[in-house]
Amino acid sequence: MTPAELAPAVAPDLSIWGLFLQAHWVVKSVMLGLLACSIWVWAIAIDKTILYARTKRAMDRFENSFWSGQSLEELYRSLSSRPTHSMAALFVAAMREWKRSFEGQARSFAGLQMRIEKVMDVTIAREIERLERRLLVLATVGSAGPFIGLFGTVWGIMNSFQSIAASKNTSLAVVAPGIAEALFATAIGLVAAIPATIFYNKFVAEVNKQAARLEGFADEFAAILSRQIDERG
Amino acid sequence: MRKGLAISAVLHAAVLLWGMLTFDVSPFETATAESVPVDFISTEDFSKLTAGIKSAPKPETPKPLVEKVADKKPAPEPAEKVTEKKEIVTASTAEPPPPAEAKKPEKADKPEQKVDPIAEALKKEEKKDKPAQKKAETTPLPPRKRPPPPQPKFDPTKVAALLDKRDPQRNAATGEEINRTPSLGAPSGNSPQLSQSELDALRARLMQLWNPPIGIRNAGEMIIRIRVLVGRDGRLTAPPMVITSGRGTTYESARDSAVRAVFRAQPFDMLRPETYETWRDMEITFDPRDMFRG
Repeated sequence: MTPAELAPAVAPDLSIWGLFLQAHWVVKSVMLGLLACSIWVWAIAIDKTILYARTKRAMDRFENSFWSGQSLEELYRSLSSRPTHSMAALFVAAMREWKRSFEGQARSFAGLQMRIEKVMDVTIAREIERLERRLLVLATVGSAGPFIGLFGTVWGIMNSFQSIAASKNTSLAVVAPGIAEALFATAIGLVAAIPATIFYNKFVAEVNKQAARLEGFADEFAAILSRQIDERG
Repeated sequence: MRKGLAISAVLHAAVLLWGMLTFDVSPFETATAESVPVDFISTEDFSKLTAGIKSAPKPETPKPLVEKVADKKPAPEPAEKVTEKKEIVTASTAEPPPPAEAKKPEKADKPEQKVDPIAEALKKEEKKDKPAQKKAETTPLPPRKRPPPPQPKFDPTKVAALLDKRDPQRNAATGEEINRTPSLGAPSGNSPQLSQSELDALRARLMQLWNPPIGIRNAGEMIIRIRVLVGRDGRLTAPPMVITSGRGTTYESARDSAVRAVFRAQPFDMLRPETYETWRDMEITFDPRDMFRG
């Protein structure tokens, strides 16, 4: 056998598109799924980055105005007209509860302190839920992506070994393209999983930081309101 | 969310496009080495290569077989025996003339005696002893007296010349310089290797006859190697020599048993005479573990 006979008739297309087209349909679906995962991960990452930056800015702005000595009534009036998020939402929720307790005929101071705290807890939970939404996707892709890619690789290598057995030819020129296309699946899996893991860790830290900040504000505000209740009661 | 998704999709598309455009597979730059022809041979083939030794010094140019410095002459058939004794060659050619010269005067004396003396001698030999004797007795004296003088002369020379019983000879192959190696290879160009069946047969015979002491503790130390010199008839030409040394009564009994086994195994008729060179001088290993392994 001459080397020319050993080499496959057509030189394998080793470009990315060629690798994708030559792959088995299972490997193809794995690749496509991982590509979708990667797109989704990056979309979430961009979305969350924008969200956290905006939340942070909003918190800074609100804290500035809150501690500027402005009357809480005025602040409430300016904020309650439109839907708010994070710290402002917390403030609005607490103030609404406060106002309701005073505007009614029977002044009910007894459970006001507790009610305000409850309302603020619920708001914090809702805000954190909003911040944390879709972070689980990142975690899932980060942990499962390599395995999915590995599955595609194993399937592709299995397939290429079967074709080796069928062609009864073990030269590297026959083996290499199949393995290359199979390994491409793992590469996509890693490409999807690595940013997902990094973003997940980063975002979880960010969420914790913002939650701590919200809780801190909630405690401070609860203390202010409690003092007011005691003064008035 | 939609914004993020759009950005992400665009980003991925861009990366994929870039990858497709730039992910170029460049083949490894390998220096095109000249293909080396490789022959696969078995170990048996390799050991049979002794017919032509690869490590033999190679002459610059293949030289013809030359045994004597002289003018170039093509080497005759090598089957003939090589002789360098020129005297023999001259004896057969140079010696006859003197008798011929000696004969001439006699022939001149008696021209009527035209009978070829050789033919006469041959005829006499052909005739049986009795008639020859009878003739000799019956023939008259004068003719009898005549033949005897030539007869002793004929017999040693002409008859001997006629009955040239020397081996077929050839002249030494001549050339410009003496070169005794006709080509690369051993002079006996056969492959000295015992076939496996011969070895197995020999081993089986020896193992059958060898009775090492039962219950040897450390069989590994009971390995006995014996050098055996065998003649062409398959019998020992010298007493077997024990090469390994050991101590202890068990070792001695095992050794003596091995030597006995070698003696009793005679003749080694399982060895083919064609491979005599290989089994003329053997070293046989007696390993109890081989025995007990079965």
